[in-house]
Amino acid sequence: MIETWVEAVSTYARDVDNLILLIGVLVGFWFILCEAVFFGFIIKFRHRPGQKAQYVTGEEKSQKRWISIPHLLVLVCDVFIIVGAVQVWYTIKQNLPEAEQTVRVVGQQWAWTFVHPGKDGKLDTADDIALVDELHVQANTTYHYLLESRDVLHNFSVPVFRLKQDAVPGRTITGWFNAQKTGQWDVQCAEICGIGHGIMGARIFVESPDEHAAFIASHSQAAPVAVATASGR
Amino acid sequence: MRKIDVLVLLFALGIAGVLVTSTYAQAEAEAPIEPDLARGEELFELCAQCHGSAGAGNQLIEAPAIAGLPAWYVEAQVRNFRGGVRGAHPDDYAGLRMRPMGRMMHDDQKLVDVTHYAASLDPVMPAATLQGDAARGKEHYQQVCVTCHGADGRGNEALHAPPLLNNSDWYMVAQLKKFKSGLRGAKAGDTWGATMRSMSMTLEDEQHMQDVVAYVLTLRK
Repeated sequence: MIETWVEAVSTYARDVDNLILLIGVLVGFWFILCEAVFFGFIIKFRHRPGQKAQYVTGEEKSQKRWISIPHLLVLVCDVFIIVGAVQVWYTIKQNLPEAEQTVRVVGQQWAWTFVHPGKDGKLDTADDIALVDELHVQANTTYHYLLESRDVLHNFSVPVFRLKQDAVPGRTITGWFNAQKTGQWDVQCAEICGIGHGIMGARIFVESPDEHAAFIASHSQAAPVAVATASGR
Repeated sequence: MRKIDVLVLLFALGIAGVLVTSTYAQAEAEAPIEPDLARGEELFELCAQCHGSAGAGNQLIEAPAIAGLPAWYVEAQVRNFRGGVRGAHPDDYAGLRMRPMGRMMHDDQKLVDVTHYAASLDPVMPAATLQGDAARGKEHYQQVCVTCHGADGRGNEALHAPPLLNNSDWYMVAQLKKFKSGLRGAKAGDTWGATMRSMSMTLEDEQHMQDVVAYVLTLRK
C-alpha cells in the first residue's frame, strides 16, 4: 500500500511498510472507536432543558469498565506491535549480513561524500572512487555502509530503502542494505543540521552488474583523489 | 498582384518577422541584469548565517570576509559553486558547504541581487592571524602575483584577478593550499582557477604561502 507512493527497493523495505501498516491499523481502529464513543456520548448526554449535570466519580465498576476493558485490549494490541517492531529492528539494525561490498558515507554541512571501492573491490585503497552527492551500488548485492559525519549530526536517509541512520561526529556506524531493482532515487538528510539541511540531497544509482562495472571502469581512468573521511579536512 | 507574388511577399514578411523577433529576444537575453539591492539584502540573510550580517566572515567555520568585494568576482564565484566548478571536490570541506548555497541562487536575478548587495557592504580589514616573513613574501609577490593582482594588490577585473586587501590571511593561505593540491582550480571549465593553480605551484610550502600573504597585508597601508 505504501509502495503506491514510495517505491520499495531494499530487501527490508516491505518489512518496514508492513510494520507501519500494522501500527496504523491497530492504532487507527482504537482511534476511530474512541472518537465514535466520545462523540456518541457528547450527543447522547447533551444539554436538555431542565436536566442538571451529573458529577461522575468513576468509582463504580460499571463506569470503570469503560477504561479497564479497552486498556487491556490496547495492551494486547501493543504486544503485536512490539513483536513486529522487534522483528523489524532485529532484521535491519541488529542483524548484519556478510558484506559483498562496502562503501563509506560521509555527511557534512551540507553535502554527502560517497567513497566506493575501485577495481580491487576493497575500500581504503588507492583506487577508491570518492564522489560528492552520488552513490553508485550494484543491485542484488549486500552492502555495508560505514557512516561518518565531519561536523554535526546528520541522518543518512534513503526513502525507497526505508533506511534512516543517524551520522554522529566521532563515530563510524556500520549498517547494511541490499537493493532489489535498478534505477536512481533520492538520498536525503533526515536530521536538522543547519541552514542548508533542506537542500542536502544526493542521488543513489542502483545499477546492473554491467552498468556498475562500466561506472567503476570510467572512474578508474580519472586521476585518483584523496580518500575522504570524516577527519580528512 | 499575382497570387504567387502575394505568397512570396508573405513568406518574406514572415522571415523578416522571425529575424526581428529572434534578434530582439537575443538582445533581451544578453541584456545585463539590473541588481535589486533591497531584494539582495533579503537574500543575504542566507549568507549571513556563515559570513555574518556585515559580511566580515567567521574563521571558526571557515567563512571568509566578503563585504565590499567586487560584485563581478563574488558573482563569478557563486556561479562556480552553483555549476560544480568550485566546491565539488570530496575533500573541499568548506567549499562543499558553499555548493548548496550557490545552488539556492539558481535564478540569475537572485544571484545578481545578492552579490551586488555583498559588494555594497563596507569593506573590512580582517586582522592578521598568521606569522609570515613579509620581506621574503614581497620577493615572490613582485615576481609572480603582481602580474595579475597588481603591485598594490587591488586586482584586475580584465584578468579576473580579485583584490586581495580585504581578505583574511587564513583564507588566502587556505585557498593557496587548495589550488596547489587541486581541490580548487582543477575542474574542467574553471579557466581562471586553472591559472591560479599553476601560479600556486611556484610556492614551496605553507610557510612560503604565509610569507606572501604577510606581504599582501602590508599593502593595506
